[in-house]
Amino acid sequence: MKQKLSAFWAKDGTRSVCASLISILIGMAVGSIIVIIVGLTSKTISSKGAWEGVRLVFAGICSTGRDTVGNLTFGFSPVNLGNTLFRATPLILTGLSVAVAFKTGLFNIGAAGQYLAGTAATLFIALEIPSAVVPAWIIWILAFLGGLLAGAFWGAIPGTLKALLNINEVLTSIMTNWIAANLVTWFFDISNLKNVVEYGKTGYIYKTSFNGVSTPKLGLDKLFPGSQVNAGILIAIVLAVLVYIMMSKTTLGYELKACGANRHAARYAGIRDKRNIVLSMAIAGALSGVAGSLYWLSGNTEFFWSTYQSLPDAGFNGIPVALLAVNNPIAVVFTGIFMSALTVAGQQLKNLTAYNEYITNVITATIVYLSAFYLVIKMWISGRKKRKINKVQTSAVPDSADETQKALLDENARKEGDAQ
Amino acid sequence: MPDSEYVIEMLHITKEFPGIIANDDITLQLKKGEIHALLGENGAGKSTLMSVLFGLYQPEAGEIRKNGEVVKISDPNDATALHIGMVHQHFQLIDVFTVLDNIILGAETAKLGFLQKDEARKKVSELSERYGLHVDLDAKVEDITVGMQQRVEILKMLYRDNEILIFDEPTAVLTPQEIKELMLIMRNLTKESKSILFISHKLQEIMEVSDRVTVLRKGKYVGTLETKNTTKEELSRMMVGRPVHLVVEKGPAHPADDILTVEHLTVPSKLHKNNAVKDVSFSVRAGEIVCIAGIDGNGQTELVYALTGLEKPSAGKLSLCGQNITSATVRARSKNGMSHIPEDRHKHGLILDYTLEQNLVLQRYWEPGFQNKGFIKFDAVRAYAQKLIAEYDVRSGQGPITKARSMSGGNQQKAIVAREIDKDPELLVAVQPTRGLDVGAIEYIHKKLVEQRDAGKGVLLVSLELDEVMNVSDRILVMYEGEIVGEFDPKKVTVEELGLYMAGAKRDRKESETA
Repeated sequence: MKQKLSAFWAKDGTRSVCASLISILIGMAVGSIIVIIVGLTSKTISSKGAWEGVRLVFAGICSTGRDTVGNLTFGFSPVNLGNTLFRATPLILTGLSVAVAFKTGLFNIGAAGQYLAGTAATLFIALEIPSAVVPAWIIWILAFLGGLLAGAFWGAIPGTLKALLNINEVLTSIMTNWIAANLVTWFFDISNLKNVVEYGKTGYIYKTSFNGVSTPKLGLDKLFPGSQVNAGILIAIVLAVLVYIMMSKTTLGYELKACGANRHAARYAGIRDKRNIVLSMAIAGALSGVAGSLYWLSGNTEFFWSTYQSLPDAGFNGIPVALLAVNNPIAVVFTGIFMSALTVAGQQLKNLTAYNEYITNVITATIVYLSAFYLVIKMWISGRKKRKINKVQTSAVPDSADETQKALLDENARKEGDAQ
Repeated sequence: MPDSEYVIEMLHITKEFPGIIANDDITLQLKKGEIHALLGENGAGKSTLMSVLFGLYQPEAGEIRKNGEVVKISDPNDATALHIGMVHQHFQLIDVFTVLDNIILGAETAKLGFLQKDEARKKVSELSERYGLHVDLDAKVEDITVGMQQRVEILKMLYRDNEILIFDEPTAVLTPQEIKELMLIMRNLTKESKSILFISHKLQEIMEVSDRVTVLRKGKYVGTLETKNTTKEELSRMMVGRPVHLVVEKGPAHPADDILTVEHLTVPSKLHKNNAVKDVSFSVRAGEIVCIAGIDGNGQTELVYALTGLEKPSAGKLSLCGQNITSATVRARSKNGMSHIPEDRHKHGLILDYTLEQNLVLQRYWEPGFQNKGFIKFDAVRAYAQKLIAEYDVRSGQGPITKARSMSGGNQQKAIVAREIDKDPELLVAVQPTRGLDVGAIEYIHKKLVEQRDAGKGVLLVSLELDEVMNVSDRILVMYEGEIVGEFDPKKVTVEELGLYMAGAKRDRKESETA
């Protein structure tokens, strides 16, 4: 049993997971300290309020509001859990997008633009095809594929520039991000998809549910009543598994990773490095496109079409999601949910206490930032382990020294035998 | 016990790394004023032992004594304080500094923050005169020859009053003349009662220069011998653990049809405006080893890139086994029967972050045997890797799942050779296949090349080492400034004659076609 445990501990994967968990805990601890400092220095927040803030940072996802006396209550919160999963869907997908690119030696900072490209294509298809003529589920599939392809196309642009002209993909991705933001704004500005029927919804596009198109709930709404969750999260998880299989089990993944690790050696082995660079950016783009697609296809969110001044958070948040998961596609599912849980906790903090949304953002940012200390923590864990082993070995040397000497003598004798 | 006969003793040193015991109870005793050679194959533990002496690693067991007294060396500063100095295989010099600046770097004498270079200059000039180390103190390191750079490294050690000098494979980068000079310098140093540890796997040099020699094998101590009482054959047997043939054994070649024909090949250079390869024509026949000799940088690299498809030629025609491959892809050439042992094993030969087994299937992962509908057959890959590892004796810490990066250079090369030869090619292009390898590995790779020849394959060997050129090849082409300036039969030509062609002092009239 003990041996099994130490073997389990010696695994690289175990250490990675432990390191991630520890860095998350440290991040939350430091976030709590900020909550306390802000609470104690602010006139509107009492020390009780500060303590409530800390509790919400750690357990915001289980928050169920306040009881009649005004104390915070915690418990199973289907709304929070469901919303966490709903918001995790695009984060997981953009996280996958960044992770795939990283694994192939590319930094996809263009997830935001690809997300917007996917958004535009999805909304256009989902709203323009009349559901009176075409069954809604077919429209859903077309809109989903449209988002996927639009994202892939938008990702392939920096990929192509990198492959053919060796222009750094970070530069071109940043530019394609802003091109997407302006193009999408222009596209919706001239479209007839602006919401004109609902009061207070100017600047928004119709929800896809206006056309009767929305992602099925598959019973998840029964599990988490009152939340926005739908089957999108399941699609994201399936895609994560598919990406994992593609990257680690197929020749395609072997080639893509080879190009990332050593482009010269890949060329030497007859791998088409240029095609693969375009391909990995297209795959990364497709995943970000799907992120946008699934978010808006939920049918219960509406898109603010005038995006030319701001890029969607989901695009950039994919970067910490991927980093925290060490680019492991399966781990991305968990880190995506974690990031989304933080957002939900932040909302609780904002709704239930006097902390405003800006300080909430600072706290979540701190947690994410410190979570990225993962590598330091991992080195620390491995180092401690190694020192332990060293100690054991030095104490064991006097006994084994004789044996090695004996073995050496034996070998020498054998050698002499060979010589004669 | 004071007044020991030995200036440095390393007794029963044991150093372990995960999965491998690099030094297993090794004892090395260096007498005052001797040249002591440390001999062993790559991965035998020479570098680890020296790193222990230099304070870079702490041994798990054993002790170090200086003049009979136990000392603790926990970092390189301790080693320096004990007057131990090392000339690394890769020089530790700053290119844009002058020779003098490099020598005094880290041990500058200064008054009020101003360098006292005159004093230093005097001391360095004295040293260089006393030991016959000729250097130009005001030249920048980037402008001087490799041989002179090495003398700078030696002066660095002397300037710090080191008594124990470690030379880590000092001859690997030198020309034959420079090697002779170095040996003279080493003898001068011992006359002045310096003690030298000389790490090498070149037997010739050890026999010439050392007083005693300690042999290591696979991390274990094999023995210490007086050099004058031993022979190269005995040393190589101790080092490799079996008798080694120092001369390549091969029968006469039986060349048949052309495998590779190169016609009027021209390749542009990436470094300058001229062509790197100029109108080169030759052929390689089945059953012969053709060697391209020449000094580094005369177009050999570009020629190979064009042959293997890594670069496009600007003119000319290439055929492999009768098929025109001038504009074929790398993969197509590979499928057509071309294997390539590349010059730079880290840049082209291996994906260092991939495991050994992933690297071993690098040229054939796409074959039906290793994948099914795009899914890698991991069992087949593992089995194949284990087969190659056993057959070609590729040693590594964790077998097939070892990261290529963590393997020794010799074993990395063996892995590449295994991969390229096991593909059963018609033409094997081997570029400096034995660079940086030890006798055992060199013998092995030469044997494999001859085996390929005897199996009726064509072998194109590109080499900078004249010994290799003379020993292995059946036909020699000398390349100078992108052109083939001569063709020779190794049995009928002397090394001196080849040298003249390689240096551009002599050339045959240009032939339109070589048979």
